[in-house]
Amino acid sequence: MPVQTANSSSLSMLLFMAWRNLWRNPVRSLLTVSALAGGLIMIILYSALLTGMTRQMSQHATEISTGHLQLQRQAFIDDRDLYATLPWPYLQQLEARHPEMHFAPRLYAAGLASAENTSTGVMIKAIDPLRERQTTRMLEHIRQGKADFAIADHTASGLPRYNLVIGAQLAKNMQLTPGSELILVTQAADGSIGNALFRVAAILKPLEPNFDRMGVLMSIEAFQQLMYLEDGFHELAIKLEIIDQLDSAQVTLIQQLAAFTHEQPLEPLGGDPIIRNWRQLNPAVSEMLELSQTMMLFVGLIVISLASMGMLNTMLMAVHERTHEFGILLAIGMKRRILLAMVLFESFLLALVSAALGSAVGSLMTVYLERDGIDLSHYMPDGYDWAGVVFEPVMQIYLEPTHVLHACGLMMTVTLLTALIPAWRMARLNPAEVMR
Amino acid sequence: MALLTLEAISKHYRQGEIDLPALKQVDLSVEPGEFAALVGPSGSGKTTLLNIIGGLDVPNQGHVWLHGTDLTRLKDAQLSDFRLFQLGFIFQAYNLVPVLSALENVELIMVLQGRPSAEREARARHYLSLVGLEDVMLRRPSALSGGQQQRVAVARALAAGPRLVLADEPTANLDSENATALLDIMHRLCREEKTTFIFSTHDPRVMERAERIITLRDGAIVQDQHLNQTAYADHN
Repeated sequence: MPVQTANSSSLSMLLFMAWRNLWRNPVRSLLTVSALAGGLIMIILYSALLTGMTRQMSQHATEISTGHLQLQRQAFIDDRDLYATLPWPYLQQLEARHPEMHFAPRLYAAGLASAENTSTGVMIKAIDPLRERQTTRMLEHIRQGKADFAIADHTASGLPRYNLVIGAQLAKNMQLTPGSELILVTQAADGSIGNALFRVAAILKPLEPNFDRMGVLMSIEAFQQLMYLEDGFHELAIKLEIIDQLDSAQVTLIQQLAAFTHEQPLEPLGGDPIIRNWRQLNPAVSEMLELSQTMMLFVGLIVISLASMGMLNTMLMAVHERTHEFGILLAIGMKRRILLAMVLFESFLLALVSAALGSAVGSLMTVYLERDGIDLSHYMPDGYDWAGVVFEPVMQIYLEPTHVLHACGLMMTVTLLTALIPAWRMARLNPAEVMR
Repeated sequence: MALLTLEAISKHYRQGEIDLPALKQVDLSVEPGEFAALVGPSGSGKTTLLNIIGGLDVPNQGHVWLHGTDLTRLKDAQLSDFRLFQLGFIFQAYNLVPVLSALENVELIMVLQGRPSAEREARARHYLSLVGLEDVMLRRPSALSGGQQQRVAVARALAAGPRLVLADEPTANLDSENATALLDIMHRLCREEKTTFIFSTHDPRVMERAERIITLRDGAIVQDQHLNQTAYADHN
């Protein structure tokens, strides 16, 4: 008796039989393929939409305002301490050592804004427009006016009147438009009351709920005149050319700052300089990105499980109709494991056809949508706010090829696991009984 | 030495609380090359006996010796191998895999045996020619008549090179002409290939061609006749 009973010929014959068996009832098989492929298309579209949103979210978290990394002092992080500044030479040294990075210094203060009829508390943010444009896209998000931070004119007493840019909601609440006048009152760094008259040059699009409601942007020069604070800056936003180098760049900068503080010690009350990456700065966004992966898997599992119920029904019907045939195959000497493999091959081929069809159609649809995104600007001209992040009104779609592969893998796995039920039932048949 | 020996085979089926005896202490010995018919009325135990000889069913008592191996002691996978290499089966109907052509149906069993592709195809073509199906070997079962399908089943059973072919009412669904033609083929191959045939039947046409008639009634062998079929064999 030859020892070898299962070889590549058996495998190809099994595949051949499985393929032909699949098309014994073409309508039933096509319906099953449609259900599985439809499920896959839904997963691919959902995944592309979620990926687009998460990319938008991470872009928003880094490009709009935060940057990839930020440098601040501990006291500023803890208490927004006005005096916890970093000296300007730090900026110059960093720029000299890292021409591949972009740096945007910022200063912050709280104040009271008064217009013709109203007044409200505001958060003043001072920027260097030139460096800010190289580092973030904040100044591209102008709804009305022009992001001009220069001196608008001079008052009767000869003091310069600077332009500034304000948040969307603040403009609405205070009924301000480009050209309006705004008085800011604050407690300056020397303890005196600082106040000045400004001109609204532009109104920002919604960026972040707090800033939209209270944000006032001005030049560092204007800030220094208002606050009498010239020693340094509160925050340095840093943009990397290659985002993948985030961790290594963070380590490098930490080491260099340690060297700077050794050479030029900081006064102790402000605490150590701290470099944080955008994930540390926006833990909610970072968690949301991780959560989105879990959500994708969860939704994928639900959709595919539902679709695979259709496949289970098909396979149960298919094998039920063929019990006599399976009995014959067992009688002539086919081993139970080979019979089990044959039924699993049928499910595998069914899933493979569905995967090919679903991934092709899903990818094509995604590529089509990827081009222009889903434009909701007609309904939401300012975009929409989700999880504390303001999204642009055009929903971005992004097809990640690995997601298509993962979705196909998930579908194949779930359908094969489902197919174990009918396959196992068939493999336990008693040939004498089914042929009786 | 006998090819097949049955020793005190008993089989009963349980139906609810009742034990239904199917075979009672059956003893039987079959020599190589025999062309034997199991006859008897419906429910006499013919199919049960064939199933037990073929390792498809297990007796409650007794032993089945086939070419020196006790089938009752083999495990499921060993029985599959035994059926694959030592036995050929021809069933009453729906014998063939519908998605395979006649040629592929005959090849299938040799694929499972692990025979090389060229040998498989040559043997399949040879046996299909022997049963007179050389012109239709690429057709699927649905495109063959009942008689042709049974002939494919004969070719499949013999192509695997078995010692014993078991046929359960092979002519039950055939008209007279096809039944006669099939029996002629089986008998001729029995002689030419020196393969032993045991078939169950209650068809008088089949009994006429048998060299041995084993009569079963109520699960027991009541008659075992060895007939002289030389005249019939010479005629064919």
